[in-house]
Amino acid sequence: MSDRQRNILIVDDDPKHLQTTREILELEGYAVTVHDTPFRTTEIVNKTRPDLVLLDVNMPALSGDRLCSLIRSNGTHAGVPILFYSSNDEESLRASVSRYGASGYVCKGDIAGLRRRVAQVLAA
Amino acid sequence: MAPISPHDAPPVATLITSADIVSPETRVSEVADRFFASPELEALALVENGRPTGLATRSKIFAILFRRFGLEIYGRHPISKIADSEPMTVGEEERLDLVLDRAMRRTFEDIYDEILVVDGEGLFKGLLSVKRLVVEQGNVLAESRVQREMALTKAREMKKVTDLKSQFIAHVTHELRSPVNAIIGLSELMKMALGRGDVQPLRDKLPLLSSSAVNLRAIITNILDLSKIEAGKMDVFSETFDLSDLMQEVCETTRILLGDKPVAVDVECDERPFSFNSDAIKVRQILVNLTSNAAKFTEEGTIRLTLARQNAGIRLAVVDTGGGIREADLERLFTAFAQLDDAKTRRHEGTGLGLTITRQMVGLLGGSIHVHSVFGRGTTFEVLLPLSLPQAERAANE
Repeated sequence: MSDRQRNILIVDDDPKHLQTTREILELEGYAVTVHDTPFRTTEIVNKTRPDLVLLDVNMPALSGDRLCSLIRSNGTHAGVPILFYSSNDEESLRASVSRYGASGYVCKGDIAGLRRRVAQVLAA
Repeated sequence: MAPISPHDAPPVATLITSADIVSPETRVSEVADRFFASPELEALALVENGRPTGLATRSKIFAILFRRFGLEIYGRHPISKIADSEPMTVGEEERLDLVLDRAMRRTFEDIYDEILVVDGEGLFKGLLSVKRLVVEQGNVLAESRVQREMALTKAREMKKVTDLKSQFIAHVTHELRSPVNAIIGLSELMKMALGRGDVQPLRDKLPLLSSSAVNLRAIITNILDLSKIEAGKMDVFSETFDLSDLMQEVCETTRILLGDKPVAVDVECDERPFSFNSDAIKVRQILVNLTSNAAKFTEEGTIRLTLARQNAGIRLAVVDTGGGIREADLERLFTAFAQLDDAKTRRHEGTGLGLTITRQMVGLLGGSIHVHSVFGRGTTFEVLLPLSLPQAERAANE
């Protein structure tokens, strides 16, 4: 792993989840950017080129899984690792991962899992 | 013509029209007398020791006897002499459609002859009228088509219910988990802050933690209420209370919900106090559900609660100047979790259960709920309640 600080973008419409997740990851030593709407996410990803994107699934107007396929298909940073981070049940997340081309998922509330999965993806 | 399934066709034993018998030894003249005496008698089975040996039909017997000297020639003979000695005979369990097929393949002069029915032992059970079989067959065909249609409709409905149920479960799961996960995240951060000896994050996070818990409780209450209503376990109590006072109280709660949005809330009520007999807790919940919806969707303007007598009951209304509801969306408004956007992309917080519960509660109180809305202009929810509770509920509480 390089010494460069890793950059994570979190997209979630719920401010509580957004702030909590941000703080947890910042305490892990990552640089975290947050975005509270699915709109313009692709643009932000292309411009800021994060090392990882955490996507909430249930969001107004554009769901995280569709957003994921948008990033994958329209982006100049299309290969960025993307994790779904959602309160949906694991089966539906697993299905979304393969269907929309995400790198994996973490269940909201599983904070140890979040730390582990993020570290794993960034180390790869 | 659509074939009928074995399932649709009844066994012929259920269609026996008569069991008129005569001994094969009976004189032809006596049999003729019987036919003369009973105009509706169409056929007699010749039966000896319980077993059929032939069939005498009115038309054939008369055809013989009315010939010149017929009665003179045959009158004293036993009926077996001129009866059909090999009538069509079927088992009692045979199917209507197959029996009718066979009957119709008979010769022209035999085609309307009655058919004998015997049991497994070959003992006589009765006669079948071919005309009746034809009518029954027609009924079965018509019914089977109707039934098939009904079964298909039912299957489609069941599929819809199953789909809605799994959607419901997915929603419940998400709605319950989301606030719990917020609580877990917040408490984790507070724990870490405490570990560092830093108190400031606690001050920031505690209000969020408690509001998440309150939100979670509201969702759980909603889900439990709905399942209680659907299981028919929701009790209704009858009491007399001041409805205008209750509306005032709901009005205050709504103001708190609105926070600093520029929305005025008022109550319009001609009578104060307004004495009313119903279940006060449920009436309050109905009003709170409607006003909190109004508060959620109204950014500016007014939310008005009105109360008036109407016919043999009262009319309660919550009128807002919010975003309104599209006409196409109105009809699924009261369906559990039929949130107007797809679940994954919905805009507003909430369980999607509020209006379902509201409508069920209004129903428990013997009333009805209606919605009028102009998209972009505002929405009116109108609740009509009777002056007294439905009889059944009252009796249950006495």
